[in-house]
Amino acid sequence: MDSIWYKILGVVVSFILAFIVGMTYMGLSRKIIARVQNRKGPPFYQNFIDAMKLYSKSTAIHHGLMQHLGPAFIMVSSIMTLMIVPVLNDGKWFPNLNFDGDLIFLLYIMVFGPLGMALGAGQTGNPNSAIGVTRGLSQMVGFEIPWVMALVALMMQFKTTSIVDLMEVQAQSGTWLMFSSPFAFIAAVLAMLGMFRYSPFDIVGAPTELASGPVSENGGKYLFTLMSSGAVFAFAKLTLYVDLFMGGADNLIVLLLKTFAIYLIPMLYGVVSPRYRTEQAIRYFWGWPTFFGLLAILHAVFF
Amino acid sequence: MDMIYLIFLIFLSGAVISWLAGKVNHVLQDILFLASVIVPSVLFYMNVSVGQEVHFKAGGIDLSWGITDFGWIFSLIVLGLGVLAAIYSVGFMKGKERRGYFYFNYVLSIMSMLGILFSKDFVSFFIFWEIMTWSSYLMVIYNGKHTQSIGIKYFIFSAIGAYAMLMAIVISHSVTGNFMIADLITAYPVLSFNLQLLIPILLLVGFGVKAALMPLHVWAPGAYSNSPMAYTSVFSGALSKMGVYGLSIVMLSMISHLPEGFWFREVLAWMGAITAAIGTLWAVKQDDAKKLLAYSSVAQLGYIVTGIAIGTELSILAGLFLAVMHAIFKSTLFMAVGAIERQTGTTNFTEVTGLIRKMPWTFLASLMSIIALAGIPPLGGFVGKWMLYESLITSDHYMLIILVFFSSTAAFLYCYKFLFGFFLGQEEKEWAHVKEAPVLMVIPMLVLAGLSFVLGTFPGLILKPIDAGMQALGFAPTNQHLWDTSILFNSWGNQVALQPILYAILGIFVVFTIFLTIKGYKNTRYVTTKDISSSGEVPKEHENLTFSINFFQPFMRAVEPVMRRQIDKYYNGFANGLEALFDFTRKIYTGNGQTYAIYVILFLIIMLLIKNNVFG
Amino acid sequence: MVGTPVLLVVIPLLAAFLIPLLGMIWKELVRIIPGLVLLYMFILSATLLNQVLHTGPIVEVIAGWRPPLGINLVFSPFSGFLVTLMTFIGLMVWIYSYRFKQNVDFEPAKKYFILLMMLVTGSVGIVLTGDIFNLFVFIEIVGISAYALTAFYTERNSAEAAFKYLFMGALASTFLLLAIMIIYTQLGTLNMADIASKMPEMNTTYKITALVFLLTAIGIEAEMFPLNGWAADAYTESPGPIGAAFAGIVAKAGVYAMVRIIFTMFDVDGTMQFMLYIGLITLIVAETTALRQDRLKRMLAYSSIGQMGLIMVAFGIGTAEGVFAALFLMFNHAIIKPLLFFSGSYLVYNSKDKFIHETNGMGKHIPITSILFALGAFAIVGLPPFAGFWSKLSILTAAADENMIIIIALILIVSIIELVYYLRVVNRIYFFKMAEGVEPKKPTLNALFVMVTLGVIILLVGFYPDAITGVLHKASGDLLDKTKYIQDVLLLNP
Repeated sequence: MDSIWYKILGVVVSFILAFIVGMTYMGLSRKIIARVQNRKGPPFYQNFIDAMKLYSKSTAIHHGLMQHLGPAFIMVSSIMTLMIVPVLNDGKWFPNLNFDGDLIFLLYIMVFGPLGMALGAGQTGNPNSAIGVTRGLSQMVGFEIPWVMALVALMMQFKTTSIVDLMEVQAQSGTWLMFSSPFAFIAAVLAMLGMFRYSPFDIVGAPTELASGPVSENGGKYLFTLMSSGAVFAFAKLTLYVDLFMGGADNLIVLLLKTFAIYLIPMLYGVVSPRYRTEQAIRYFWGWPTFFGLLAILHAVFF
Repeated sequence: MDMIYLIFLIFLSGAVISWLAGKVNHVLQDILFLASVIVPSVLFYMNVSVGQEVHFKAGGIDLSWGITDFGWIFSLIVLGLGVLAAIYSVGFMKGKERRGYFYFNYVLSIMSMLGILFSKDFVSFFIFWEIMTWSSYLMVIYNGKHTQSIGIKYFIFSAIGAYAMLMAIVISHSVTGNFMIADLITAYPVLSFNLQLLIPILLLVGFGVKAALMPLHVWAPGAYSNSPMAYTSVFSGALSKMGVYGLSIVMLSMISHLPEGFWFREVLAWMGAITAAIGTLWAVKQDDAKKLLAYSSVAQLGYIVTGIAIGTELSILAGLFLAVMHAIFKSTLFMAVGAIERQTGTTNFTEVTGLIRKMPWTFLASLMSIIALAGIPPLGGFVGKWMLYESLITSDHYMLIILVFFSSTAAFLYCYKFLFGFFLGQEEKEWAHVKEAPVLMVIPMLVLAGLSFVLGTFPGLILKPIDAGMQALGFAPTNQHLWDTSILFNSWGNQVALQPILYAILGIFVVFTIFLTIKGYKNTRYVTTKDISSSGEVPKEHENLTFSINFFQPFMRAVEPVMRRQIDKYYNGFANGLEALFDFTRKIYTGNGQTYAIYVILFLIIMLLIKNNVFG
Repeated sequence: MVGTPVLLVVIPLLAAFLIPLLGMIWKELVRIIPGLVLLYMFILSATLLNQVLHTGPIVEVIAGWRPPLGINLVFSPFSGFLVTLMTFIGLMVWIYSYRFKQNVDFEPAKKYFILLMMLVTGSVGIVLTGDIFNLFVFIEIVGISAYALTAFYTERNSAEAAFKYLFMGALASTFLLLAIMIIYTQLGTLNMADIASKMPEMNTTYKITALVFLLTAIGIEAEMFPLNGWAADAYTESPGPIGAAFAGIVAKAGVYAMVRIIFTMFDVDGTMQFMLYIGLITLIVAETTALRQDRLKRMLAYSSIGQMGLIMVAFGIGTAEGVFAALFLMFNHAIIKPLLFFSGSYLVYNSKDKFIHETNGMGKHIPITSILFALGAFAIVGLPPFAGFWSKLSILTAAADENMIIIIALILIVSIIELVYYLRVVNRIYFFKMAEGVEPKKPTLNALFVMVTLGVIILLVGFYPDAITGVLHKASGDLLDKTKYIQDVLLLNP
């Protein structure tokens, strides 16, 4: 049962799961945000309808090879992330090619896609796309700092760079890391705000300013791929947080509960607040989140 | 005659001949130039083995040449890059003036770098070092622009470095009685503590200048961007590595004898990291590709220095691997800039855009190198970055890793700027005529890009000689324990297998590429970059939709406090102050005969007054 | 046997008297004969040098009076080396300036060659003489020819420069004579070896006073700070080749005299340190001054003074390595500085003010001269693989062996300053646009020959320093061995 085909099957299955869960969460978030803003909002399955529509549309134009490949790049990033992060604790279901779950590798593969996508967006020639990309990259420099600090704190504390080992630590001690390393958790969650790009950090897409930014010239199959990639990526990231800080999940129900709980944080943070300017966003991340990151490292070193 | 002499003889005569041959025939000149780089390189790899040595005397000083395992790693960089960039140069220099001058200095540079690696004594080391300095200086001023500012600045800094090194050399001579490097290393542990500090510091100043280490880096952006790109690829790729070479030897075989936990390593590691951060930020700001890459080189060398300064096995592996990688990808990028400069006449992002369809091969090479530079898997840069981070974490450098990570994340910004600025964005009519660069220029770029791809999955190919070199410096073998042909380990036992990563990435990429291509293949057609939905309106032909000015303005605003302090200003202020002071001393010579006579009389009187204190 | 050391002085003196007479027969002889004489002097000294390197010094007694009573010439490896060097440079200057003002009816031109020959002769005499009064005489000979050569152009500036030189020279002579008087009254002898052997008997106050006068007097000749005010003017206002002769010949003779006094004659403590520090000050002041010059020849002049300071520093180190380094520096300076003066005069040939910026763009028009200038510049700042590097290495090594770390640092800092001003000129030559109305002057064939010869020597020594180091080692050993010098002179076997 350890054959490569079995693993590939696992990837496909977890991809489908991630797709469904991610799409549902995005639909739910639209609904919830709408209710907060006292609107009715679309049904939670609206995203599936959108995706089906995009998939069935035929795409008439493209702007060149890089744009054509851009969605494929970002798909690589999403699926690779999914493949590193163990979905369930025992690993029997969805046995991913987890590459031993190395965190440094994870950090880098997570930016692989956005950069490829950025190249695709660049080739369209739409200035809004490029502006969106520059904003996204700038914001990334912002939130990566507390994020890395949180991870470094964990890695230092437990002398491992592997997600699997960190989950093992939690399973053995019985305490979730969000309690035993609270500062790292806070820093990581604050960094997540930028990662999920909800308001007030939605400077990349910025509907009214940039006409949805990098994706603006993509339609049909391209947008479909981007959308599914986004869903998968969101799920992978949520699972990562659950694995790192909440002891992972023993079965799918727990996983869904935990991930949704995490998902609520970036969604609800600043639902009613207006968008930051890019430099404000960057400075935000270099403020309190970085401070908590420092505390996390100090905590890891001295306790 | 020993093969070693022959190699240097061919280099030397090749340099002169390929200069003079320009008077006869240009094709002949190109062939001779290539021969004078390639023939000695081939001879070196065919006939010179590690450990082979020659001894001779000059000026009553014992000199000795021979390659070590450690030098051999760098010889790969020097000669490999030397040959490829030489091929590129032939294409690049076609139709340019002063080809002889260029070829002469090029060959001399390569020779001097190889000579540095061969030198087992300080005198020949220093001689080759200085030949390297002035031949590269002559390249920096090749264009005849900014000779008095950039050129002189480069030379002054080089001279400061070289003279610091010379001082260390003569001091070590006074200690050991000869100029052998090995003797100094042997004698080092028993030296007095002051000398134990002084000698490495002086040597590090010397090497730090070439490795563009903060605060000695200020020459680098100007010098890198001012020399012809065909040479800059060697300049940044190989020549700066000579600084790393020296630095490594000092760090690994001298400073390692200092008491454990001594601040020396930490300071140097921090200097490296700060260099990386500052260099990256300045690179993001640049609008000129040459400047951008120059600052990026400064930053990348910072990582290398950090890796070597930390001094654990993994970090040294990381530093040296990054050195090789940097030589590969940065020289490719400089070559790409050279190709663009040659085809369009400018290297400014605000002027040239949308070249992807005109120069596809250059784009491909740049893309690969940029991915490698950014450290994104599955290319070679990732391996180096991974090892660097793992070594920093496992050796408890928790703040250092944040700084390093910050700079390599910020590096994405300029990476994107480079690709977007040149290749993507609006395709302007102004550049519609641009063609791909000549084959001679494209091939070296693609070869190098292919190399960074191969090393991304099989780093063992280059880690093997690095390991041998480290063993020559007294480290334990690291094979199987920190690396295998395509697996990396850290000292906590975590590992990354690179082959599955490559296959997974390729697999996913291919699946989705096929999906995107096949679905609705017949219906999808290419449209120009003017045919876009610009807020629902179709842009007119004359509308300028190019986005390139103030590219990262928000980011620059965020980091503005750091950028305000420029060390350059302090240096300039210092230099101006000195010149003013010298103007004052100049006034001692008034030009008046009476004053001079008064000087004489005063001198005599003072001497007579203090004669018993001075003499006797 | 080509001849004896005495011919080195006698032949040119004789020739100097005969030349005006011979000139009446055929005008060209005025030009040719000094050259032949210089050639003979060079061959003679080279042969003798070769001989003394193997057999030991030749001490020549004039007119049969044995030292300490009579006058004697000492041709040792040290003095022989210097004499050979000086005559070689003299010969080079002659070849270089052979067609100097050939077609111009210009009164001083007739005397130029005789004066040049006398300049060399005087310097050779200073080096060879074993007698302190003759030292004075030869210094006067050098001085008189030098004043005349400085005033060669008979313009306001050159006359002023010559006057300054004369003024300072007169002071030097006075002090020298005073010192000689003190020594003679105390010791009753003028022979250097005899003085050296009797020096311990001398009263300390007199001894030191004499030393101070001697140092002041010789310091003026050796361009020691602050006594070198005349030098820059003299170098600048005299004809180009004469600047080379001053740097390559006269200054060397001055340093020789100083070294002879300090190493051989006096046994006072502190003289070495004095030389070291005064040399250092000279070096620093001169080089920083050179940085701020806007005229090429002035810059070269100050650079030359700085080099003399460096030579003093090397001697001041006082060890065998130090003396070796100093001699190496003297050799290099004597080869390189004339090359710079020679090629530099062509770079600003048609310019009235000789500004540095008038060398702009010369590289394209007179390529060989320019590249030789660049070679000289690279060599004098000590870039490997040119000759200057080895001397710099040896002086630093010598200093390091004595733990003089600060001095090493200062020398190196000054080297950077030197580097800057030379590179500024080289950059101008190659990378700046030539100004309107500047007419480059192509060098004559004989000038080219001289410059190329010097350039080849620079490269040769650079790549193969052993060509010269053997001689230098013997010469430095000779200088340091004071007892042997005294013995050689005083216990002379007839």
